Amino acid sequence: MAYTELAQQNPLRVLNMSKGSQMGLVMARAGSGKTALLVQIALDAILRGKRVIHVSVGQGIDKTKAWYDDILQLILQDHSVDRPHELIDMVGRHRMIMTFLASSFSRARLEERLNDLVLQDIFRPNCLIVDGLDFASTDREALEDLKNLLEAMNLQAWFSATHHRQDPRVSPRGVPAPCHEVDDLFDTVILLDSQADASIELQIINNSGEAAVVGKELRLDPTTMMVKER
Amino acid sequence: MKNDLSKVRNIGISAHIDSGKTTLTERILFFTQRIHAIHEVRGKDGVGATMDSMDIERERGITIQSAATRCSWKDYAINIIDTPGHVDFTIEVERALRVLDGAVLILCSVGGVQSQSITVNRQMTRYKVPRIAFINKCDRTGANPERVVHQLRDKLGLNAVMVQMPIGLESDLEGMVDLVAMEAVYFDGDQGEELRREAIPAHLLDEAKAKREELLDAVSMFSDELMELVLEEGDIPEELIQDAIRKGTLSLELTPVMIGSAYKNKGIQLLLDAVTAYLPDPTDIENIALDLKEEEAENKVSNNPADPLVALAFKLEDGRYGQLTYIRTYQGEIKKGDTIVNSRTGKKAKVGRLVRMHADEMEEIEGAGSGDIVALFGIDCASGDTFCAPELNWSMSSMHIPAPVISLAIKPVDNKAQINMSKALNRFTKEDPTFKTYVDHETSETIISGMGELHLEVYIERMKREYKADVEVGAPQVAYRETITQQADFDYTHKKQTGGSGQFGRVAGILEPVEEGEYEFVDQIVGGAIPREFIGSCDKGFRKSLEKGTLIGAPITGVRVTINDGAYHAVDSSDVAFQLAAIGAFRQGYGKASAVIMEPIMKVAIEGPSEFQGAIMGSINQRRGVIIGTFEEGNYTVVEAEVPLAEMFGYSTTLRSLTQGKAEFTMEFSTYKQVPKGLADELVKAFNEQKKES
Repeated sequence: MAYTELAQQNPLRVLNMSKGSQMGLVMARAGSGKTALLVQIALDAILRGKRVIHVSVGQGIDKTKAWYDDILQLILQDHSVDRPHELIDMVGRHRMIMTFLASSFSRARLEERLNDLVLQDIFRPNCLIVDGLDFASTDREALEDLKNLLEAMNLQAWFSATHHRQDPRVSPRGVPAPCHEVDDLFDTVILLDSQADASIELQIINNSGEAAVVGKELRLDPTTMMVKER
Repeated sequence: MKNDLSKVRNIGISAHIDSGKTTLTERILFFTQRIHAIHEVRGKDGVGATMDSMDIERERGITIQSAATRCSWKDYAINIIDTPGHVDFTIEVERALRVLDGAVLILCSVGGVQSQSITVNRQMTRYKVPRIAFINKCDRTGANPERVVHQLRDKLGLNAVMVQMPIGLESDLEGMVDLVAMEAVYFDGDQGEELRREAIPAHLLDEAKAKREELLDAVSMFSDELMELVLEEGDIPEELIQDAIRKGTLSLELTPVMIGSAYKNKGIQLLLDAVTAYLPDPTDIENIALDLKEEEAENKVSNNPADPLVALAFKLEDGRYGQLTYIRTYQGEIKKGDTIVNSRTGKKAKVGRLVRMHADEMEEIEGAGSGDIVALFGIDCASGDTFCAPELNWSMSSMHIPAPVISLAIKPVDNKAQINMSKALNRFTKEDPTFKTYVDHETSETIISGMGELHLEVYIERMKREYKADVEVGAPQVAYRETITQQADFDYTHKKQTGGSGQFGRVAGILEPVEEGEYEFVDQIVGGAIPREFIGSCDKGFRKSLEKGTLIGAPITGVRVTINDGAYHAVDSSDVAFQLAAIGAFRQGYGKASAVIMEPIMKVAIEGPSEFQGAIMGSINQRRGVIIGTFEEGNYTVVEAEVPLAEMFGYSTTLRSLTQGKAEFTMEFSTYKQVPKGLADELVKAFNEQKKES
């Protein structure tokens, strides 16, 4: 099977983030599959020929790489691909992992790193994944700053944020704290909602005013954390 | 002979280069009263530290060979294996880990968990070695043990918990708070030999209480009794905490962290106490031997001195007294005059002199009990061999030995050098299974191969110094391989009818790539198209074909050969005829199977100040490297990448000039990958030109 077919069969196609510098957000409680979903979004982009930088705040290179390896294995189990090793190599060449200790991450540092890569023509990313950013201690100004950077570099980005059960605050669009006051900065917000049967539903909220229902319902399989259509 | 195994510790000391491992070992030997002066690694007195017995090590300030040494602490006997720190000598580290029961992982309080610590930790995990961590150099500017503990948790995934807390840091380091006893400990006297225990200074009391709380939280998991006392907030006896720490350490679920400064003689005695209290004795560790009489059935070694002997030769040294073989006994006893059998060769040997080693000095002994580490004289064997009592034929499970990835040609300058060189090579190949040597029949050159540039450099140095063998060294060569990428069939008839008896054989079948494994031979001949006696000849012919590929003459791997048809002649078919038919058949199939060249890819980790990250990544990119990721913490950064070995020659010089000498790198073999088309064409062209010339 060709890679483009793999990408077309991906249920995440419904997210339709094909334009340049859009921002997306994945929100869930701790341990509900945020990283798994982000990695699937990244792999979807890679299969469509994009280059992805995965910024991981607080997690090491090995752990982050393990997520990709595991999910790629699951994809290879479900779909027969002619030369699996070539696919694994291709993913390696189209992905770069940047990990920071929480205190070391800042817009300035990120910009410096991205410039290092682009100016020396080492790696030209199309998509940025930012996993582990602490939204509770990131103010609106910092996020706007990041958004400007992404626009200037024509980068699409996906963030993850953790919300806590005890915190009842929620935005008019239905985005819970700590992102309830910055939700307008994101074009798409996905809430991961644990169901009674242990599966996790993807609730997609669009900013553009389009219908939030995307035709098919998506959920995460609780054993593999893979996105499936219901 | 000390027979109480609960009082024996076989430990290793592993660390990143320059973390102060040799200094620490030296201090341990000093405090255990075996040597009377402390020599610095790069000391001005020219004596050098006791454990580094080789000249090169003294000059470079690194430890290459693991020497075993014995010392006593209180009523415990401690055997210390000094392990090498550079990744190029990984086999030595791994072999040493094999015979250890426990280890001390040394970390620099400034540098923290560095790439080498990660490699060593992975190896310790593989061999299930319980460990305690020692954060050294707490007297240095920038010392931050807390940060190192966090790194132990984040980067190494260890459940690290401090059992001590520093009193002062950097140049103000005075001593430490023992969080188990809740006392302050100071080190008086010229060399810190007098321990002074006092009440914890008032200004540190709150912090110490909080830290102790953390410690109790972590270790109470391993003792119900302790858990209850903690919940009841009752008085907790020291022994109970120590037992829980020991239990956690042995189960590999806890890593107690000690601190100190070996150079300033602070914390060594407490570390020795911890070694005896928390690290396992030989009976705590399960070791498996394979019974060669019973199809390698697994047997647990008993540690019982009354049982027949099982011992592993883990280290050979050619010293001024002749060949010395370091062994670790797993059960039984070894005594002067005993007959022992090498289970690999079946050869018997008589135990002559038996010694206990203290680096360069030795103590004659009559015998040694199980769980001990001693050295034998005059025994011929290779490292990794198992010795048993005559009634047993067991082998300690084989070790994982990586294949060499780099080779170079060496040429002796004169006749004398020639003789000495072969002596040296003979010795090195016995000592180090990752070091290989052979003569290339086409060029008549002697080729040596190993795990990296530095690995081979060290052996060439040793040849010159220890064996007076001056050799000219060729440029390093990468160990390329060839493989096929698609299935192809073959049908080849070998026929020769010129005078004398003729030759005839026909072989048909398919070649196909296999991802794992080097070569598989499948026989699907039915109806006797090829007689049974010639099937082996076909296999032999195919194996011969694998030695040299047709693209660049590199060995071929990853091929499955299936034969399914053939023909023979009642008179003219022979072993040779079918071997030649198989060679012809392979060549025919290989030409159609889209053969490619593979090259070794190294996993490289470069670390240094963040300001150089761009330059480092640029240098990787220029070398056809793929950057896996970067890690940043404060002003310190690590770049991990996969780079072809062929591009890594001379990288240390490049890196030094790029980063003003502030960055360093380690590399280890990762995998083989296909060489890009353009480069492959160049290799083929060069090979063909070379062939024409000769």
